[in-house]
Amino acid sequence: MIEFHNVTKRYESGFVALSNVSLQLDDGQMAFITGHSGAGKSTLLKIIALIEKPTRGQALLNRINLNNLPRQRIPYLRRNIGIIFQDHQLLFDRPVFENVALPLQIQGYRPQEIAKRTRAALDKVGLLHKEKSLPITLSGGEQQRVGIARAVVHKPLLLLADEPTGNLDPILSREIMQIFVDFNQVGVTVLVASHDLRLIDELDMPRLTLNAGQLILNDLDHSDEGGSLGAY
Amino acid sequence: MARTNVRRRRPATTNQISAYLLHHLQSLIFSLGKIYKAPTTTIMTVTVIGITLSLPGGFYLFLKNIDAISGDFRSSSQISLYLELNTSDKQARGLERHIAGMDHVASTRFISREQSLEDFRRDSGFGKSIDTLSSNPLPHTIIVEPGEAADTFTVRNLLNRLQAMPEVEIAKLDTEWLERLYTIIEIAKRSVAIVTILFACAVLLIIGNTIRLDIQNRYQEIIVTKLIGATDAFIRRPFLYGGVWYGLLGGIISWLIVEIGYLAISGPLERLNLLYKSDMNLITFSFHDFIVLIASSTLLGLAGSWIAVARHLNQIEPT
Repeated sequence: MIEFHNVTKRYESGFVALSNVSLQLDDGQMAFITGHSGAGKSTLLKIIALIEKPTRGQALLNRINLNNLPRQRIPYLRRNIGIIFQDHQLLFDRPVFENVALPLQIQGYRPQEIAKRTRAALDKVGLLHKEKSLPITLSGGEQQRVGIARAVVHKPLLLLADEPTGNLDPILSREIMQIFVDFNQVGVTVLVASHDLRLIDELDMPRLTLNAGQLILNDLDHSDEGGSLGAY
Repeated sequence: MARTNVRRRRPATTNQISAYLLHHLQSLIFSLGKIYKAPTTTIMTVTVIGITLSLPGGFYLFLKNIDAISGDFRSSSQISLYLELNTSDKQARGLERHIAGMDHVASTRFISREQSLEDFRRDSGFGKSIDTLSSNPLPHTIIVEPGEAADTFTVRNLLNRLQAMPEVEIAKLDTEWLERLYTIIEIAKRSVAIVTILFACAVLLIIGNTIRLDIQNRYQEIIVTKLIGATDAFIRRPFLYGGVWYGLLGGIISWLIVEIGYLAISGPLERLNLLYKSDMNLITFSFHDFIVLIASSTLLGLAGSWIAVARHLNQIEPT
């Protein structure tokens, strides 16, 4: 699903966020990216989400080279990805239902289909009864669950989450992570950036650890276990 | 996994085109909804557009009326021949018959000295003063009406030939003031064209600026929708329709302003008509004019928002 070959990202300021990073995440796998703030977690996710481009090296999503993707193809590729943000990025001028339905509207689904899928996604995160509420009236955990519902409503192949539990207490954080594990179990590839090491230890998932832009630990190393989950 | 996997996930629409049209409709209604939800901003913007467009609209209407009035003059350009005072009645009538047979002459009318004096006595109110004169100071007059097809040059030629006749003291063609009038109208027309262009630019800027602010206010929304796979066209659409609404509503307001102005003027003009015993009729916008006004202001709205969208939307990228 995701392949990085010696990817380096240097920002215009001269700051090197990623240095010579290589990794491979197969279809249906789930992994965590850990590391201190500024270690390059967000940059790695941004390259996959086509927000940033690598300065050197190659990044591939579904075998499509992200380095030189024409601008007009970016939206279509992004439709295969569900992104969850730390600050959930909900639109506060419209109710929960409209927020979750947005990816489907963008992709031109019919209204009946939109209603069906949106309710299914809200049901999955346990917020079906809040569909008419405005996001501002929800708690932090509920807002994050709306964000997750929006990220999965169009059944993406890949789920990216950047510090999804950053603002939540431990119990809520565990709930949120469990939702990701559930999605992974039905075949969605999941990549979560988090520095909540205790929670990651509990879940026993592969880990990519970044330090100052370098990948210092890679549990996904395929050199000796060729046939992991769903590969080829 | 092949590349086709990415493309496999087509939306579950039976018909892509209907989904596309549906989004156009949604954008149309959504942008109208936004206008409805922010009435103060909208009313201010469309009123400014309306006032701006009402100026060229009003000038246009004014010129249209002047044109209609001057058209009446154009068809009635005539040559007045004032004969020598010593010309006898018989000579004068013979001359009239002769002129009536000339080329480019549609009709002639003879007004005798006596008739002229009688008319003057009746119309001028100087009857008593006239009576004190020992002799009639007025000449015989022949009014020559040039043919419909005669252009300015032919009419001038005719004038010269008539002037050359020995019995004619003065041949007077009332075109000089008419030509001046036409020139003034032409200048006014061009001025209106310039004003129209300038005000159209102003409307473009007003709408462009409103849409720019709108884009800034919805910065976050644009970023989010880009991140979940919205195309540029999808993001652009509601803003473009917003501009269309501003243009349309502004056009209607400018039409209302001009119509109200017309009503305000028409009362006094009617009285003026009565005083002058003329039958000038004030012309208002025709249906065709109305459609042109509304269509151009709507197009200006679309163009203005297009400029703003092209300039500002592409600069917004998630970081």
